[in-house]
Amino acid sequence: MRRCLPIVALGLLALVPPLAGQSTITGVRNLAFGVVIRGVATTVAPGDPIRSGRFYVRHILGRQVQLDFTLPTQLARVGGGGTLAITFQNGDAVAQQTAPGSPPTPFDPTKKKKIKLTDSADLFVNLGGRVSPTPTQATGSYIGTVILTCTFL
Amino acid sequence: MRTLTRVSAVVAALFSLATVAQAQSANINATATVFQAMTVTGARTLDFGNVFPGVAKAVAVAAATSGRFDLTGQASANVNLTFTLPVNLVDAATNTLPIGTWTGCTNPTNSTASCTAFTPSAAASPSAFSGAGALFVWVGGTVTPAGNQAAGVYNGTVTLTAAYF
Repeated sequence: MRRCLPIVALGLLALVPPLAGQSTITGVRNLAFGVVIRGVATTVAPGDPIRSGRFYVRHILGRQVQLDFTLPTQLARVGGGGTLAITFQNGDAVAQQTAPGSPPTPFDPTKKKKIKLTDSADLFVNLGGRVSPTPTQATGSYIGTVILTCTFL
Repeated sequence: MRTLTRVSAVVAALFSLATVAQAQSANINATATVFQAMTVTGARTLDFGNVFPGVAKAVAVAAATSGRFDLTGQASANVNLTFTLPVNLVDAATNTLPIGTWTGCTNPTNSTASCTAFTPSAAASPSAFSGAGALFVWVGGTVTPAGNQAAGVYNGTVTLTAAYF
């Protein structure tokens, strides 16, 4: 019976999908508003192929992944001297699995979202948003950090 | 019995591994560059003066009657210039006078001396504001009256659209 133990254990290992190493998340592209004008709010749509932010997530086909954004409420002026308001709303995030024909799933990036990987083992998550410079906004470059935390279920 | 206990322990450990959710994070930046608003002013009309049937007349960008736009914007910023140009000037009786062969020139100072030539009919022409946030744009062209061109006053509209890039 003792001889059987390693065999049983190996068999069980084969049945249990290993998570470590298979599940990854990568920041692919910054959310870049480009030039914005004082007093003029500017929106970037999540479908914008150049300016939207983008993450790549890989997990296991058939499993779920929970997406949880940590979003800034303002961008900081590089070199100091001001902040720039940034907001996000429902529909500003879109998850789409990479399988051909897989439909996009818009969601609210201010809330957690679970996605089941039914079509492929990986997906892209795009992020849009809007900045609202005041009429007296200090000119210059502004930057903030967007964090996407994935819980692989 | 001990073996069974070991197997159970292994199974429990493996299920524990299988059900523990793992979390990972990644970052991207959100970036924006704030510029001051731009102004574009039609400062001078492109004026061909008197022209005669069958005689084409050109106005060069350096001429006193060339068209001029004055722009203000973010110091040293790049800007794309795009024109909407008429193909005809029109009089009150809707007679038309062909206009074309557009020429253009830009300069951060209000002088056509050493200005930078461009083609207004192109899709977009890159330029840049001066360190003080100024830019001047001149436009010239050619009208080509027909041999039987009806006498009258002909007008058209030249529109400049400027956009930061």
